[in-house]
Amino acid sequence: MTSIHFRALTGKVITSNGIPSTGERGMDDREIVIDVRGLVRKYHSTTGVLHQKRRETVAVDHIDLQVRRGELFGLLGPNGAGKTTTIKVLTTLLLPTEGSVQVLGYDAVKQPMEVRKRIGLILGGERGLYYRITARQNLRYFADIYGVPIAIRDKRIEEVLARVDLLDKADVRVEDYSRGMKQRLHIAKGIVHDPELVFMDEPTIGLDPEAARDTRAMTKELVGEGKTILLTTHYMYEADELCDRVGVIARGRILALDTPSGLKALVKDTSVIEVEGFGLTEMDVESLRALEGVRTVAANMGEDKQTMRVQVEDPGGMLPRVAHILEDRKVIGMKVKEPTLEDAYLWLVREDA
Amino acid sequence: MPRLRAATASFRHQASMFLAEPQWLIPNIIAPFVLAMVVLMLYREPSPEAVLYAVLGGGMMGMWGNTLYASGYSIQSDRWWGTVDAIFSAPSPLIWIIGGRTVWNAFIGIVNGLFVLVAAMLIFRTPLEVANFPMFLLAFVLTLLSLAALGMLFSAAFVLTRSAQVLTNGLEFPIYVGTGSMFPIFLLPYWTHPLSLSLAPTWGIDAIRYSALAGYAQGFRIGYWGDMLAMAALSLLYLVISIWLFKAVDRRARRTADLMRY
Ligand SMILES: Nc1ncnc2c1ncn2[C@@H]1O[C@H](COP(=O)(O)OP(=O)(O)OP(=O)(O)O)[C@@H](O)[C@H]1O
Ligand SMILES: [Mg+2]
Repeated sequence: MTSIHFRALTGKVITSNGIPSTGERGMDDREIVIDVRGLVRKYHSTTGVLHQKRRETVAVDHIDLQVRRGELFGLLGPNGAGKTTTIKVLTTLLLPTEGSVQVLGYDAVKQPMEVRKRIGLILGGERGLYYRITARQNLRYFADIYGVPIAIRDKRIEEVLARVDLLDKADVRVEDYSRGMKQRLHIAKGIVHDPELVFMDEPTIGLDPEAARDTRAMTKELVGEGKTILLTTHYMYEADELCDRVGVIARGRILALDTPSGLKALVKDTSVIEVEGFGLTEMDVESLRALEGVRTVAANMGEDKQTMRVQVEDPGGMLPRVAHILEDRKVIGMKVKEPTLEDAYLWLVREDA
Repeated sequence: MPRLRAATASFRHQASMFLAEPQWLIPNIIAPFVLAMVVLMLYREPSPEAVLYAVLGGGMMGMWGNTLYASGYSIQSDRWWGTVDAIFSAPSPLIWIIGGRTVWNAFIGIVNGLFVLVAAMLIFRTPLEVANFPMFLLAFVLTLLSLAALGMLFSAAFVLTRSAQVLTNGLEFPIYVGTGSMFPIFLLPYWTHPLSLSLAPTWGIDAIRYSALAGYAQGFRIGYWGDMLAMAALSLLYLVISIWLFKAVDRRARRTADLMRY
């Protein structure tokens, strides 16, 4: 029995027996620590000064989600998919418009303080720290308002500083930190009160490859210690490398929810024709998309070089037809490749558009 | 005691944020000082009482800047730092966090005021003989707390309404005048009196004058203890309104998302 939740084709998530899949067998007996049912979150905003118009954005549109203790769960989706909104509802920063949200057995709407004591929130990006004061002063403040017992506070701060490798810079003002150091301090801040469950919103955004690797390594370490993590990301390989299960989200809806290998299986009957060339245009992408036998086309339209990944079921038959469409273009390479998680993701997200 | 801890930690935090860049205080010292001088220059030959009044008033004015800005913008500053999510998702009620910071701000306001006072005393060579030191100290501390309560009220109100933020810039001067720091209130038009009287520090300043100046006669007729009582009652009222406003802030933050946009 397959545990693929698949929405793009049917318009509704299929689960084999009404119970959400846990991806891997043997996980099923672990306690559910995040239980989201029918979550909807809308935003209202007004535009215009004189003729005010009320606009409604449905940021999260009927999401169901269950995460078990010890899992590393990834929410993967494009900009504006509703990832941050979902995290904000789960961390009690926002009230749901509809639906129920249970975190660690507590109702996120009615018992926010109980939830807050037990969770950590790690945001990506430059901000979210007090720049004028030192890392240690930052951590001390957060430890205090997050209720770390005073007797162990300083020891605990020492521990987390060591863990994120900032001990020697602990008494330097944060404004003198590099981007990577700030991110490590973000992690320290999110775990200083030793939460059971950690939320990370795009923890590697804007980091150089090495700093991003460090961050991923620390994330894995946390899971190794038995913490549960829900993270959001734009990056496929990050989700692939880290996550036990991935929910692909776009326009506020979960399009598919499975293990990375389960998601790859969505495109197992397809191949990818990778085209590299000069002067390829959006028009070409559109004509390829319109071609019968093409599932989807992902394009990277660089200034001087463009690459396209054309997903097809029958590469042998499609190769000449693709070549035909691009006849009078400057194509420098055309290869048939195995699909990756990225292809599965792009197909899901495109198909839903 | 986790709430008290959040408050003391926030007090300490505000202190370290302040001490990292204490130069922010300079405008708060200069402005009231200049105002006190201007007031004095309006008198052709100021009597020693007038000088004392102005010097003490300059000190009072010095207290306001920090209360208005640092406390009023307390939550706002977390929006600037991007720490507002961390503050709002902490398992400590917001009012205790802001409360701790506000007490520090009021404390700095008072230090600021003392600084102006001492500087003015030196320049105008007016020895300030505090008539009754224990009563002076008591009035001082209570005024500090009433400033903190007012700061708390501001911080919640500023978050709830954008127009309140616009108002701040113009609020400083009317408050100098309204609390009787610059001129005795009875010189102001009648319609401003209710406003002046609804500010707890107005009473505090009057109480400070009663305790500091021997033979102070321009004060409210209810005297020192009457002043103290009025100030305490108003401060309590501020606190009650603040608790209510902070509930509204919390509700609003979680319902609409506009308090936390980053
Ligand atoms: N405070 C807000 N007021 C109004 N609309 C909002 C607000 N915050 C988010 N939105 C809208 O809700 C939708 C989902 O936004 P959200 O930030 O949750 O997406 P995301 O998946 O985190 O995107 P990104 O990858 O860019 O961070 C978007 O259309 C966004 O414009
Ligand atoms: Mg986001």
